[in-house]
Amino acid sequence: MSKGGQSRTRLLLVILIVTSLFLVTLDLRGVQLLDNLKQGTQNLVSPFQRIANSALSPIKSFFSDASLLGRSGSQIEKLEKENASLKLELLERADADVQLQQLKGILDLAGTAGYKIVNAKVISQGSYQSFAQTVTIGSGSNAGIAQNMTVLSEYGIAGIVKEVYPNSALIQLASDPGFRIGVRIVNSQQIGFLSGRGERSAVLQLLDNSTDINEGDVLMSRGSIANRPFVPGVPVGYITTVDNSAGTIAQSATVRYYTDFSKLSVLAVVVGGPKSNPGDALVPQKPQPIPTPTVTVFVTPTPSPTN
Amino acid sequence: MSIRLIGISSLVFLCIFVVQESLISQFRLPGGGFSILIIFALSWAIMSEREVAAVIGFSGGLLMDLSQSSSGPFGQWTLIMLLASYGISYLGYGDDNFFGGAIGVVFSIVLANLLVEVLFLLSGPLLGVSIGSFGQIFTILIGTSVWTLFITPIVLPLFAKLHKSIYQAGTLA
Repeated sequence: MSKGGQSRTRLLLVILIVTSLFLVTLDLRGVQLLDNLKQGTQNLVSPFQRIANSALSPIKSFFSDASLLGRSGSQIEKLEKENASLKLELLERADADVQLQQLKGILDLAGTAGYKIVNAKVISQGSYQSFAQTVTIGSGSNAGIAQNMTVLSEYGIAGIVKEVYPNSALIQLASDPGFRIGVRIVNSQQIGFLSGRGERSAVLQLLDNSTDINEGDVLMSRGSIANRPFVPGVPVGYITTVDNSAGTIAQSATVRYYTDFSKLSVLAVVVGGPKSNPGDALVPQKPQPIPTPTVTVFVTPTPSPTN
Repeated sequence: MSIRLIGISSLVFLCIFVVQESLISQFRLPGGGFSILIIFALSWAIMSEREVAAVIGFSGGLLMDLSQSSSGPFGQWTLIMLLASYGISYLGYGDDNFFGGAIGVVFSIVLANLLVEVLFLLSGPLLGVSIGSFGQIFTILIGTSVWTLFITPIVLPLFAKLHKSIYQAGTLA
């Protein structure tokens, strides 16, 4: 490359670096123009996401079921005899059943607490490249969804509405490292903050260090002013490990969310909070052990023949 | 770089972006999956002159910033992709290039992809981005590298053919 060419390349590189830094500065200063640009892009992409979601639903179910292949050999043999269209129909039906089950769970949860909700299908998963945990749902401001609303799964908290577009919305999942929620422990009523860390477990930090917390304690959301971003009384998770290290200022614990973030297909956005605090009405029932039937056999000895 | 080349390249980038956002984002792949946009930008950068590679990196990064699932401030991906693309082109361009062969190119893209992720991680806290637990970061870094290693050899011939058809036609025109 000639000397002139090299200096031109350097100049171009410097211009592009300065432009990038300028964009970062504009964003950090909250310039609206960039938000509008992102919104425009999402409006362009969301119809494609919707189409891809509908088209790929059976395939997605196929991938998730693939891990069970070894356990259901006889069922597979039976399915192999059926024709291709029937297979596709079954896959679609299975996908619909999962969505129906999730929807039923959500409606039960919202109905018990008196939340007004808008249901929406998950149309896209967020990219991991930015180390963020997000999903996109197929309803937006046209359905009454606004920023900073609570999002529920069938088991409890799923996240909050981070960005809203006319026909879609970006949901920040509770597992996102930037997610924070105020919680209370059901039994002791202690309050604290829960922070996501990129996986299904999260870190709980209590404000008061005096009371003990125990493994298995259930956490519920505390609620925010005007129910945004959080409505009160939503099941969040349960404590799995308590950190009892000496010298810590605030007691901390590891919490496992009730929601399985890898299996979200239907979500509900709380567009209207409850008239009164539901309290502990939504505390999940602990699984009851199924009693094992005991069989008692009475044997009457036959009299031995006497001579 | 003529206006025609920029136009065609932008269209190709837009298509790849739509594929990433609508198709690939449908699957929650184990280990964090892969970004076809990063693979594409790095592949094209490695085949291009430094000047063109810088523009490719800038454009690819800009699209990644436009993605709604991008967590950092607008411009962070643009800066990182610009530097990575320029760097990979600097090492890869010319007869005495650093890579020497298709396998070398694949491994260079995997390494550059890893570098891009690490740069994002390092610059994230400075710009107020939360990045999660160590275990999760480690999983994503390893996972995306493995996925990139798996996907790149499949898509590289297609990307190379596309690059050749656009840029050779552009040079002759």
